[in-house]
Amino acid sequence: MIEVEGLYYSYSNDDNFAVKDVSFKVAEGEIFGFLGPSGAGKSTTQGILTGLLQLQKGNASVAGYDIKNISRKMFNKIGMSFEQSNVYSKMTAKENLSFYSKLFDVETRDPIELINLVGLGGKENIRAGEFSKGMKHRLTFARSMINNPSMWFLDEPTTGLDPAIAADIKDIIREHNNKGVTVFLTTHNMYIADELCDRVAFIINGEIKLIDSPKNLKLQYGKKMVDVEYAQDGNVKKETFSTILQKDKDLLNQTIADKEILTMHTKEATLEEIFIKVTGRGLA
Amino acid sequence: MKLLSSFKKELILASRGFYFYVELIFALVILAVLLFAIPQNFSGTSTEYLYFDLPQEGVEIFTNQILADDLDGESEMVEIEAGGKTFNAELIVTDESETYIVNSEEAVRMLAETHGNIGAVIELNENNQLHYKYYLQGYESTRLKNLISVLHNESTDILEERFNNQDVRPLSTGYEPLSDRENTIPPLVAFSGSLMGMFIMASYIFLDKKEGVIEAYAVTASSVWQYLMSKIFVVLLTSVVSGLIIIMPIMGFRINYGLSLLLLLTTGFFASSLGLLIASFYNNLTKAFGVIYLLLIIMMVPGIAYFIPGWGPFWIKIIPSYTMLQGFKEIILQNGDIVYSLITSAGFLAAGIVLFAITNIRFKKTLRV
Repeated sequence: MIEVEGLYYSYSNDDNFAVKDVSFKVAEGEIFGFLGPSGAGKSTTQGILTGLLQLQKGNASVAGYDIKNISRKMFNKIGMSFEQSNVYSKMTAKENLSFYSKLFDVETRDPIELINLVGLGGKENIRAGEFSKGMKHRLTFARSMINNPSMWFLDEPTTGLDPAIAADIKDIIREHNNKGVTVFLTTHNMYIADELCDRVAFIINGEIKLIDSPKNLKLQYGKKMVDVEYAQDGNVKKETFSTILQKDKDLLNQTIADKEILTMHTKEATLEEIFIKVTGRGLA
Repeated sequence: MKLLSSFKKELILASRGFYFYVELIFALVILAVLLFAIPQNFSGTSTEYLYFDLPQEGVEIFTNQILADDLDGESEMVEIEAGGKTFNAELIVTDESETYIVNSEEAVRMLAETHGNIGAVIELNENNQLHYKYYLQGYESTRLKNLISVLHNESTDILEERFNNQDVRPLSTGYEPLSDRENTIPPLVAFSGSLMGMFIMASYIFLDKKEGVIEAYAVTASSVWQYLMSKIFVVLLTSVVSGLIIIMPIMGFRINYGLSLLLLLTTGFFASSLGLLIASFYNNLTKAFGVIYLLLIIMMVPGIAYFIPGWGPFWIKIIPSYTMLQGFKEIILQNGDIVYSLITSAGFLAAGIVLFAITNIRFKKTLRV
């Protein structure tokens, strides 16, 4: 769905590259996470892929369209949710979506249905200027679905949302992905990447350091240990067992059988820990 | 369809915004000024104060000469105040002047000083010849001062003979001169209708940049030119409406409205394309204000030449607003030069297209400005 090879981009048109030799592929139906701290080159790469920035060097294609010569038809297939909400504040939620629905050559979704989907039901006739930041963000997210995109670019889709709404947004993303929509997710939020992505790319200083699935990364970088807390003689005891050594495996089984288990955790690494280990920098 | 949707959206936004109404209200204010403040023709009537320090016989000769031109043939005794004093005066009103004949030189001096008009004392010198003393304001032109000198150094008979022998033949009789009120229409329409579009267009773009909606538009299947053109349509609509608000009540049905609309649309297209181009270089109105202000000032300079027919250097004629003004003038003149207006319209259309094409390229490249 996306093919990128040797991508470079410089805002100052010199050797000060915001994106350097970036190459990756995103398969159809995949959720691909682009993970990195602010200024790493995530939005620049996404900007190039969505035609907002001109391709300077390298090759890229999105949904079968060459980014060097972007056809407006490409945008019938892609949806884009921006990190910064960008809706017409003087227009109502419904007017905003109705207007954008007329800018595509394909069948579009009912604005009211989308408004309800993102939890803004009943607010369709209120001007976006009167919305809270989170509500505007949801309207921007809803707009990105108006043309039933098969390639969906999401830039920090849960930023600024409360946990309940963020969970709804993640469900919507999963639901669309289950229907075959390919998702290019740009974020610095490791949790959403961990929960949603089939594969993630770590980008820092404009360069991709690693691409793999969260599961593989955790296996590769996590400790193969289990922490167990159990009650004994009125006290809480804690022990750590290896999940590789047979002796520890037997002891773990014995403990589970004989003791009252309070908590039990595998010692897998979080994506953030892996990111720090790989890049030497945090995601904040 | 996409263009129509964008136009409809722009109309909604404009109707809920500030600038849309500013232009229309501005046009209504101009109309009110034209109808109620600016006379059909500016009056050339002057006021003057005279004192004849002459024998009674001489006073009567001068007074009767002036009285001969009085509108009703009779003078009126009035009181007139100056410097806290009240003076009796004989008022004679003619087509060209209001003359107050007073009883002392002090009255002439105080009235001239207080009311800012010319005063004169006519007396006999030691040789029993007429002597004229003028109280001027100091800002009179050298031409007027020279004229006064000539009048008193040449025999009145010789002057009259020379005036009578002058043969004045109009070279063209096809033009019906415009009234002073009508004559102010071209600059007002050009500046409020067309050039204001430049400022308003830039303002619309900066509002969109502030909200980030240009980026959202750029990832739709609609082209950037449709986005820009829909804005131009709204600006053209307000330019035409505000232009007609000024023109129609003054000119009635005496002008060719087809030509007026054509010139309003083409000059509006040019000005709004220029506004778009400026907006493509900046990301807010504050940063662009200097350039917009400078351009507006440059565009206003031909307005000075318009009201001073004797002053029209070449460089003024290459400023687009000069041609704009002349184009509007030809339209409101009876038997005006239609070809000139058509060529002007074609020129602004062509220039607008070029500016729009450049702007379109700029916006494609600078969506994230």
